[in-house]
Amino acid sequence: MISVTAADRVGIVYSVTGALLDLGGNVLELSQTVMRGYFTIILEVDFPAPKTRDQIVEAIHERGKRFELQVQVTEIKPGPAEPQTPAGERFILTVLGDDSPGIVHSIAGSLAAHGANIVDLHARVDGTRFSLVMEALIPHDLTPAAIRSELERYGRAHKLEAFVQHENIFAATTEPSPVRLSAALRSQGDSLASH
Amino acid sequence: MHRTEDVLATLSMIRQHKLDVRTVTMGIDLAPCASPDVAVLCDRIRARLIHYAGRLRAVCREVEARYGIPIVNRRIAVSPIGRIAAGQKAEGLLAVARTLDAVAAEVEVDLVGGFTALVQKGWTDSERRLIAALPEVLSTTKRVCSSVNVGTTAAGINMDAVAALGHVLKETAELTRDHDGFGCAKLVIFGNAPNDNPFMAGAFHGAGETDCVINIGVSGPGVVKAAVEDLVAHAPTRPTLGDIAEEIKSTAFRVTRVGELIGREVAARLGVAFGIVDLSLAPTPQIGDSVGEILQAMGVSRLGGPGSTAALALLNDAVKKGGSFASSSVGGLSGAFVAVSEDAALARAVEVGDLTLAKLEAMTAVCSVGLDMIAVPGDTDAETLSALIADEVAIGVINHKTTAVRVIPVPGKKAGERAVFGGLFGEMDILAIHAAGGSAEFVRHGGRIPAPLSSLRN
Repeated sequence: MISVTAADRVGIVYSVTGALLDLGGNVLELSQTVMRGYFTIILEVDFPAPKTRDQIVEAIHERGKRFELQVQVTEIKPGPAEPQTPAGERFILTVLGDDSPGIVHSIAGSLAAHGANIVDLHARVDGTRFSLVMEALIPHDLTPAAIRSELERYGRAHKLEAFVQHENIFAATTEPSPVRLSAALRSQGDSLASH
Repeated sequence: MHRTEDVLATLSMIRQHKLDVRTVTMGIDLAPCASPDVAVLCDRIRARLIHYAGRLRAVCREVEARYGIPIVNRRIAVSPIGRIAAGQKAEGLLAVARTLDAVAAEVEVDLVGGFTALVQKGWTDSERRLIAALPEVLSTTKRVCSSVNVGTTAAGINMDAVAALGHVLKETAELTRDHDGFGCAKLVIFGNAPNDNPFMAGAFHGAGETDCVINIGVSGPGVVKAAVEDLVAHAPTRPTLGDIAEEIKSTAFRVTRVGELIGREVAARLGVAFGIVDLSLAPTPQIGDSVGEILQAMGVSRLGGPGSTAALALLNDAVKKGGSFASSSVGGLSGAFVAVSEDAALARAVEVGDLTLAKLEAMTAVCSVGLDMIAVPGDTDAETLSALIADEVAIGVINHKTTAVRVIPVPGKKAGERAVFGGLFGEMDILAIHAAGGSAEFVRHGGRIPAPLSSLRN
């Protein structure tokens, strides 16, 4: 797993992937964003012939000299195919309101205590206005109302509004594909249709 | 990952612009309940409604919590009672109405529709008795809503029924005099009534439907208004009316999809069929939840003035197009309602004299429903009311569309005085009827206005 950060400039992705290609690497997955003018990329790369951490860092630095890149390389050890995280349904949590230190930490703490796993998160402050949009897997035995009431309690104390909504509502309103129900409900509908 | 902007845009529609599911309406076929014995009939109706709707409230609450979308009303629509209670005398019909009212309270739905007669071509003795019983039913029950379909494009207009309904309106208003004739607000007189409309007071479970079905009514005038205002304020150049139509279409898409998702989920959880989603811009008296304000956002500052009909036509058509793209299960009325007392901007336009009954009638030629929630002087004679009904139904019958009349002759009040219905039904100044009192001979001819020709359509 390779992560590269730098002040954003045109050509960084070209440079980094070029260096990896020169080493014979094949990109398996990649995620890149620019946040407040700062570029970040994370790549999972497969090398048919073993490469050391230093070789990879050196190649990326060498080819991207003009970008002043910060590079970190972590070798993925063979082990369980997937990380052991709890299963659940995907909900979108949105928190809006006045900014203050510790909001993300507190909300993440509540979710962790309930066994809800954060799978994606974006938060920002515009002026004094804080906004957070998070995707979390909420365990099947936990109702969204339980999470919501805890977030609302926190929000009341910190002038924040909190919302917990199943992701299908956002898929329905933004994607032209057919409306999705959860798998359990779909099978219920199918069995009904066959009678 | 859903884009943050998309999440916040959807959330904004719900929080700031009052997007909601206006109604989850459960349609229930009552045909298996029929019995000549009124006690048996009422027992069967009660058991069947509780069987299907007993869990409706709980399931709606679950779905509301899951998606964070308010479900404002839960309702039941039953098969037209004019057929289900065939053979019943007035007392039997009242017993059925009271049973519906009681069960609606028990399963916690706010309204139950279907005390209905479909008499566009002719009427049975039972249906004649049902229409005669309406004043008592509407004045003594709280939740029962009624509709009468008096015309279709295929059958023409049953003017005998239209004539009778003028008297029904007068009598119902008088029996609910203390509430400005509010009983009439629970009666819709239709031309080309849809079988699957989830909105009250005109919902009923029509022919060709299954045992039990969930139909959804979504609204959102505030969402559409905000979208139009945003486009007008922020577009780099002045948007054309085509641009505005496109913006309304894409907003209608999003609103309709919310309705379909909620409807399918409620139906699946209850183990019944999902029917249709009806995106109708249904106003409430709250500021910012008005169809009139959408027309104003489009640039028609004086509602009822020239341009109002064209703007409404654009709005209605764009809503239908957006809805049709969003879902293959669009039905009901699907358009824009101009329910005057329920719409703060339209009610204001009446107050200042910009919006007249004649202009409203013209506007109903291009939008959903028809003359809806309109207070008229209490001394209007029954024949004038019937002629008003005939005019509006004729617009629908000739133009192959649904039209309807929900007028309230307010006892003891004249044009310009205030009629107050309260809650979502709102209030308005009473509208004058121009050249009233001269249509009695026309109405008294009775019989049927023949079905219109379906060719040579210019």
